[in-house]
Amino acid sequence: MAERREFNDYERPRSRRSRTGSAAVWQARLIMLVMINVAQLWILAATVDAVLARHYSVLLPLVISSAICFLITLSIIRWWRPTSGKHTSTGYVRPPTDE
Amino acid sequence: MSTKNISDSTKRLLIEDDGRSDERDVRFATAPYQADFPYERGEEAQVTRREFCNFLGLTSAALFLGSSGFAAKAVIDSRAETTFTPLRINGAETLPLNSALNFKYPGAKDSAILIRTEAGAFRAYSQQCTHLACPVYYEHQQKRLECPCHEGAFDAATGNVLYGPPPRPLDVIELEMRNGELWAVGRKAV
Repeated sequence: MAERREFNDYERPRSRRSRTGSAAVWQARLIMLVMINVAQLWILAATVDAVLARHYSVLLPLVISSAICFLITLSIIRWWRPTSGKHTSTGYVRPPTDE
Repeated sequence: MSTKNISDSTKRLLIEDDGRSDERDVRFATAPYQADFPYERGEEAQVTRREFCNFLGLTSAALFLGSSGFAAKAVIDSRAETTFTPLRINGAETLPLNSALNFKYPGAKDSAILIRTEAGAFRAYSQQCTHLACPVYYEHQQKRLECPCHEGAFDAATGNVLYGPPPRPLDVIELEMRNGELWAVGRKAV
């Protein structure tokens, strides 16, 4: 008779539902990153247009917008991750539960 | 795909070849590159989601640096004081009516265009379109300067935008007649 193995919180295998959720989060991250890249590409094109038209007053807002996009990208890559048995969505180690 | 699989398929191909052709030498010589250019489709490297995310992050950084660098350079250039050295435009006196001549002004990389109107007057402009810096050319039948890239057009007499995407008129090259010779003496943005 096969012995049934007991898992603690750290080594519990992920269910199919959990894997599906994780894939969805990964997909959402990728989509958000692509959308931000497209927005930044548009900002770069607008910057080129503004420089050639000598509309220098709009350059600073454009550069700030691009910086904000970059910071959002960094935060998505660094902190917004799918949850797991070990980590929370923000990358912190999940404390063990007594249940 | 793992290196083991790649080396397995290379070995299999070498065995099949059996030394009957010089294909063996080619395969041996290209073995170090098989990870990048494998024989089998299944051995092609797959991009993981994590790698793709990192690539998008790097692209985002590059786009941000591109925008900020481009803006910074433009602002610095606009604040720098430019001195214009007068330059004699060779061949201007013999230029036929209703035709154009290209020359470089104020720098050796700054292309400009001189137009002689049907009335015999000279007009000169920077040849860079104010939309995306394509070179404009003189369309003598319509008597206007046209940009071939995005179908913008400028008035040959004033440099003003006639139609198309350019947001401002062409830069005007200031001209002077000195002892019957035509000189470019400055450039002015309108």
